[in-house]
Amino acid sequence: MSVAKSFGWCMFTLASIFIVLVGCRQQTTQLSDVRGLSQKQVSVAAAADLKFAFDELIAEFHQVHPDIKVQVTYGSSGNFFAQLTNEAPFNIFFSADAAYPRQLAEKGLADQESLFLYAVGQIVVWVPNGSSIDVESLGMQAVLDPAAKKVAIANPQHAPYGRAAEAAMKSLGTYEQVQGRLVLGENIAQTAQFVESGAADVGIIALSLALAPALRDKGKYWLIPIDAYPSMEQGSVIMNWAIDREATDLFRTFVAGPGGRKVLKQYGFILPAE
Amino acid sequence: MDSTALWLTLRLAALTTTILLAVGLPLAWWLATTRWSGRFLVEAVVSLPLVLPPTVLGFYILMATGPNSPLGAAYESTTGGRLPFTFQGILLASILYNLPFAVRPFTAALMGVDRRLIEASWCLGESRLSTFFRVVLPLSWPGILTGLVLTFAHCVGEFGVVLMVGGNIPGVTRTLSISIYDNVQALNYAAAGQTAFWLVLFSFLVLCITYALGRRGIPF
Amino acid sequence: MKELAAQFEMHYPRGAKIAAEFSRPATGFSITAVFGPSGCGKTTVLRCLAGLERPQKGTIAFGSDVWFDGKQGIYRSPRERNIGFLFQEYALFPHLNVAQNIGYGLRRQKAPERQQFVHELLNRFGLSGLADRYPNQISGGQQQRVALARTLALRPSLLLLDEPLSALDTMLREQMRLELRHLLTDVAVPMFLVTHDRHEAMALADHLIVMDEGRILQSGPVQEVFARPNDERVARMVGVETLHKGRVVERSNATTTVAVGSVRLISLANNPIEEDVLICIRAEDVEIAPAAKAFDDRPNCLAATIRHVVSDGAMLRLDLDCGFALSALLPRWATSSLNLEVGSVVPAHIPEEAVHLIPQFATN
Repeated sequence: MSVAKSFGWCMFTLASIFIVLVGCRQQTTQLSDVRGLSQKQVSVAAAADLKFAFDELIAEFHQVHPDIKVQVTYGSSGNFFAQLTNEAPFNIFFSADAAYPRQLAEKGLADQESLFLYAVGQIVVWVPNGSSIDVESLGMQAVLDPAAKKVAIANPQHAPYGRAAEAAMKSLGTYEQVQGRLVLGENIAQTAQFVESGAADVGIIALSLALAPALRDKGKYWLIPIDAYPSMEQGSVIMNWAIDREATDLFRTFVAGPGGRKVLKQYGFILPAE
Repeated sequence: MDSTALWLTLRLAALTTTILLAVGLPLAWWLATTRWSGRFLVEAVVSLPLVLPPTVLGFYILMATGPNSPLGAAYESTTGGRLPFTFQGILLASILYNLPFAVRPFTAALMGVDRRLIEASWCLGESRLSTFFRVVLPLSWPGILTGLVLTFAHCVGEFGVVLMVGGNIPGVTRTLSISIYDNVQALNYAAAGQTAFWLVLFSFLVLCITYALGRRGIPF
Repeated sequence: MKELAAQFEMHYPRGAKIAAEFSRPATGFSITAVFGPSGCGKTTVLRCLAGLERPQKGTIAFGSDVWFDGKQGIYRSPRERNIGFLFQEYALFPHLNVAQNIGYGLRRQKAPERQQFVHELLNRFGLSGLADRYPNQISGGQQQRVALARTLALRPSLLLLDEPLSALDTMLREQMRLELRHLLTDVAVPMFLVTHDRHEAMALADHLIVMDEGRILQSGPVQEVFARPNDERVARMVGVETLHKGRVVERSNATTTVAVGSVRLISLANNPIEEDVLICIRAEDVEIAPAAKAFDDRPNCLAATIRHVVSDGAMLRLDLDCGFALSALLPRWATSSLNLEVGSVVPAHIPEEAVHLIPQFATN
């Protein structure tokens, strides 16, 4: 083999080693490396029903505290619970079911003192515009309509909104017939996406999503009576390993305070007494 | 277009491919030349990620590398970092998940080299290692390149494993496919579509270049 | 005298075994052919000498270098043995051109030296002008010469050839036999070649090792083995045309008289211990004369009736009946004065030394 080829191989090996070293060190491998020197960061794990509400809320927060960067990840509360039990690097957890943050605090993973109820959620039956199902008059019976071939709810196993939907259907006597036509979304936002795209004909989704700009004019909904399902108490807690605890506290205060509550109310959340 | 996610994804794919070349090639060489009757066991293990659901693999990696596991604790004590929810974590997951996409084409390419050419090289005074570089690689590089391209492309498209192990943390573990998923859930089809389009274009270009180059190769 | 001494065994899963024992000179020109049918183990023996296969037990030593010793766990790889191996289909590297192939093993030489040497080899093997061609662009005969040049470039102490001519088509094969012998004569090292073709063995080798079913049946100078096979199997393998059962009726110091049917033959052989023997007569040893008087009082003169006449190139093959089936091979020029019509009777004479006796029942 020629000298040129051996040299080529040497270079290749060196380049590979270099890439690996560079890749492992300089890249953003830890959350702690993501921010710059002066910027503080709060990483939030938020239940999927908060998607649009929190986007707005965070924008307003940023106006008040321009030096704090809030990074939010949306998902199903049950999923976050599992990840946080494994010490996922989130600072603060906004769950759609207060039981999860409570358990985290009990396990000694989160700060008991920071536990608080930030909202009470509501669920609606939603159909897209142009659907033949008259949800506003049919109410829960809409899921039994012949045109409702697929009914979307969030997965009750790990999404609180899914469990609420299930409970509501049972108490309003439609669960048995609908069971075979259920489509489960991984979280409530995906569930909304299923119905919005037409993949499902009707769905039980969060009121906060139905009121969001993305969905508001796209369909019609019927508010499910609040006594048809166990109260959706949405709780929050700060994790023990939160970096930038100060900034996190500021964010928590904002959500619990007038600024946050105003936004939450716009999105149909019932607010706990001050 | 989520450029952070794009850069992250490219970095992940490049590192995975490079590491699998360094690790997978010797393994493939052993598989191609060994006469051990238990070889099928190793082949099965290597091919496992092909049939395992990504979530299963992700789950096991999470369990095996969590801070309370022996592996995770050892890792933490030596490097000070964690594996779940970090880039290194999804890199590890990516390497394991893409193992068959690298090793199987490598093995096939290496086995395609006539054994007598290798023996001839030995009889002409070359060691096994120099025979590998002077005879085996020049004759098998198209297949090896295919393995690299497949690995890279497959890595770019990864979803389940990365989501399980990485936790969708922006800038750290939120890859392009997860970003698209997020956008769809947020009903932001425009952004999702744009990202998806560039992804397809990129993959297509990479494949075109690879196959075009492969054809030119050596004159035989 | 430096010797290549080998004594080893290879065992296979289903009980098959190869056992080889031989020794040949390790310096100077000599060609040993390992000859036998397909599957007899001859290629394995060659590969064991090369170090490409490892025997289960035994030893292989080249002079004072021990290449393999089962008991002591010594095993030298091919590159440690300074051997040259010519593969059956040449194993030329398809990604290198002719010059690069030939210079493959010369990596450690400096470029100008290497180029010079390669150039010399190209000339010596009649390959000048082909330096830049690739293996798939040259003929089979040229490929063989490239393979030979490549192997000899490293000046091996032992040259091993695996069926050197079988990759060529029949027409080329005969032509190449002579050419190859020529080329090999220039190389002053011992050589082992493996073949299943007895004409090839006869044309190329001076020493023959006959193998069948994993065992060596006979080993000796080529002419010796061809003329005096040890047993029936070897006799058939080396192509003895006339083989018949016979009984010893008389023995004396110098000769043995054997009865084959009603015919009596006198043989110079005095080895058989048993009474039941096989007589072996090579066709080329049978003499045919134009008139009866030429032979009258010599022993082994028989009246033979011609049954068939077959032209075999420059030779004529006669199937005769002289009380038993006898085959004769005559050059065409010798038959000009003979009456070779089917059915005619001609005098046939078998020299006593051409009647070879072997035991009827194989003992090995």
